[in-house]
Amino acid sequence: MSVALLAGALLAIAAVVLVAVPFLREPVAADDHLIQPDAAEQRRLALAEERDRALAALKELEFDHRTGKVSDDDYRELVGVLRRRAAETLRAVG
Amino acid sequence: MADLGRAALVTAFLLLAYASVAGTAAAWHRRRRLAESAQNALLAAFGATAVATVVLLVALGRHDFSFSYVADHTSRELPLGYTLTAFWGGQEGSLLLWLFVLCAYSVLAVLTARRAGRETLAWVVPTLGFVGTFFAFMLTFVASPFASQVAPADGAGLNPSLQNPYMAIHPPMLYLGYVGLTVPFAFAMGALLARRTDERWIVATRRWTLAAWAFLGVGQLLGAHWAYVEIGWGGYYAWDPVENAALMPWLAATAFLHSVMIQEKRGMLKVWNVLLVVLAFCLSLFGTFLTRSGIIQSIHSFTQSSIGPWFLGFICLVTAASLTLVFLRLPLLRAQTRLESLVSREATFLYNNLLLVALALTILWGVVYPLLSEAVTGEASTVSKPYYNFFLHTFGLPLLLLMGIGPLVAWRRASLRALGRTFLWPLGAAVAGGIALLLAGAGSSRVGVIAYTFSIFVLASIALEFARGTSARRALGGVGWAGAFSSLIARNRRRYGGYVVHAAVVLLAIGIAGSSAYQTVREQRLHPGDEMTVAGNRLVFRGFQTTNESNHRAIRANVDVYHGGEYLGRYRPGKNQYFAEDQVSNEVSIRHDLLTGGDLFLIADQVNGDGSVDLKALQKPLVNLIWLAGLVFIGGSLITLWPDAREERRLAERYEGATVRA
Amino acid sequence: MPGKRSPARLIVALSVAAVLAVFLIYTSLAGGTPSLQPSQLRGHDGRVSLVGIVAGRPAGDAHAGGLRFQLRDRHAMTSVPVVYKGTVPDLFKTGREVVVDGKLRNGVFVAVPDTLVTKCPSKYTPKK
Repeated sequence: MSVALLAGALLAIAAVVLVAVPFLREPVAADDHLIQPDAAEQRRLALAEERDRALAALKELEFDHRTGKVSDDDYRELVGVLRRRAAETLRAVG
Repeated sequence: MADLGRAALVTAFLLLAYASVAGTAAAWHRRRRLAESAQNALLAAFGATAVATVVLLVALGRHDFSFSYVADHTSRELPLGYTLTAFWGGQEGSLLLWLFVLCAYSVLAVLTARRAGRETLAWVVPTLGFVGTFFAFMLTFVASPFASQVAPADGAGLNPSLQNPYMAIHPPMLYLGYVGLTVPFAFAMGALLARRTDERWIVATRRWTLAAWAFLGVGQLLGAHWAYVEIGWGGYYAWDPVENAALMPWLAATAFLHSVMIQEKRGMLKVWNVLLVVLAFCLSLFGTFLTRSGIIQSIHSFTQSSIGPWFLGFICLVTAASLTLVFLRLPLLRAQTRLESLVSREATFLYNNLLLVALALTILWGVVYPLLSEAVTGEASTVSKPYYNFFLHTFGLPLLLLMGIGPLVAWRRASLRALGRTFLWPLGAAVAGGIALLLAGAGSSRVGVIAYTFSIFVLASIALEFARGTSARRALGGVGWAGAFSSLIARNRRRYGGYVVHAAVVLLAIGIAGSSAYQTVREQRLHPGDEMTVAGNRLVFRGFQTTNESNHRAIRANVDVYHGGEYLGRYRPGKNQYFAEDQVSNEVSIRHDLLTGGDLFLIADQVNGDGSVDLKALQKPLVNLIWLAGLVFIGGSLITLWPDAREERRLAERYEGATVRA
Repeated sequence: MPGKRSPARLIVALSVAAVLAVFLIYTSLAGGTPSLQPSQLRGHDGRVSLVGIVAGRPAGDAHAGGLRFQLRDRHAMTSVPVVYKGTVPDLFKTGREVVVDGKLRNGVFVAVPDTLVTKCPSKYTPKK
């Protein structure tokens, strides 16, 4: 089946081309380095996650209190701690 | 045409091998262009696999019996729909389906994975490539769907019991699930390889895991439904190794879905999560291996195939490699917080995880027990229903209860007094319900009563959650009840979608309990005019009726059903005798009672020469809740999966804020 | 904070121990059912799972006096007579491989009702 042969050849050519494209586009790359977050960036990310976690925990506490899962006493105890933590993380992220 | 198919598979194999090797080199040496090239290879592999898929579909559609595969699984008279779905009817075709879905998912994952970070992605590509290379290798060198032969006049045909819409769609659903678990696995490995310590990979794969898990669940329900209506022994799950093969990864994935929530919220259980995703993926590979290699003797096993040893080797390799990687990266995975209280939502999630994993492992043990016992004692030993039921009850019932307790408990540390108040109503409802059930006679099955009582507890606690949440939202002001309800769900999609899914699981539990613990079974030989009674239904046998169809002869027993004095209808269980395949299939007749959710299940067990029938009748209460649960499950999953604009924005700021800043 | 003995680890350890205990108790008490071919039946008095190929012509009525057939080894001619009552799978016929539970009594394998199951021939592949 010559149609099959042609299709097969086209497929093979397309595959090779696709794989070679990055090198064909930039035969000589100015910067071939794969971006890797440096230590500072990793720290910022970790802090951002901390911040989001603290804010989410605060929101959950409010919600749990409003729906009655956390008593008033426990709420009063925890909310201060969580608010301080959230403020800390917000400051740290900047 | 077969040549094109073979060429396409070879191309796919080479591309995937390139993606694995070049991708690894690129990630290791941090070469951007090489990484892009590897990524492109993955995309191109999808194209090649798609070509192979189309070739097989066209061959099927044209009844091209020069393809051994087409000849082995279809015949000229087979309706087009089943001819095409025979694509995944055999070993080679189903491997091709696996590869096709994997490549499609890989393309999707790579194109939508901005959030995962380019350095993680650089490792995800070779991981996906590696898994794909294995399947492409099998398809090219070991089990090719494109084997050719001299075309016979007609094909062997498809087993008649497989010519059923549920069975047609069941494998692709399952595969969308099985293969879907590869993506979270690849991202987890990618994150470890890239030495990432953050939650990005979890955030990036959350929807993948959820979708794969939903497909796997729905696929299993479809299979169970097929077994119920088509095989027709009166049940829907036989603890057959092939069935267990899908259940185990689903349980592991359920555990994983819950424990990642803990990692997201509290930064705990990092090692556990990685191990769980490895377990889920390995179980899904193992599941494919179980159904395809015939290594476990089961009623669904087929002849020892050539792919068995290869699969086993691959699974061992993947397990060893991932565990080694986790071990090497252990220092990175230290938790940031501890479990503060044994009575907290984190703790209930932990208990839930332990129970789920325990159940999965005991099922695994049961499945491999014959192999192990034969290796150790020389004599194969099997376990069956009693073993599985024991552990299902031991682990499943507490799990059911936990589904009700979890939502009522706060994060971090639950106040015992608050707990008492929130528990009051569901507990009261459960106790009242339990007493009512006992008075109604449900005490005949201890497990049944416990299951029902726990279910009431869970449903009550879920309803209460919705009620309290809505009222709290409304108290904030500005919206009425309806507005508060929809706003509540819209703003907390994951939580409330999760509750809907829990409700589905409870419906499933009730359906299973009712139809197994409280079913009535009667069997009797009836001559025309004779009658039998089952659970208050009077069944009168009127005689046989035989008709000849195009490819089979249908023998039906006419049975009139009465309840009280009322005539409920004529039901016709019987058998079909297929000419070409020389096989008999069981055709059951089911009466669905829409009011009570139960079924009257009639089986013509034996058609006798003297015109009598051995009729088996089962009354299965509440069995239709199982199928209803499937629909609720889909609904809940959709709610949970639905994109949330606010959350997307927040995540974008968190992960891409760096680029904006820099 | 990290690395300290957290309750989580204790719970996990205790649970694993509990599961193992439950597990070992169950398997040692109940155990598995030996899966044997007809040639291996000698000496086994308890309930076993007999695996074999249906040989000769089955006779009798599974829903009346009992279905009688011979079951032979997969690769040998040793066979044992089986008496079975209960549901007979549609695929049951001479030459098919089947599994049935029961006990050997006086040279005849008396089956437990409704435990007869056929192993599907190689052509039959349920989709997955």
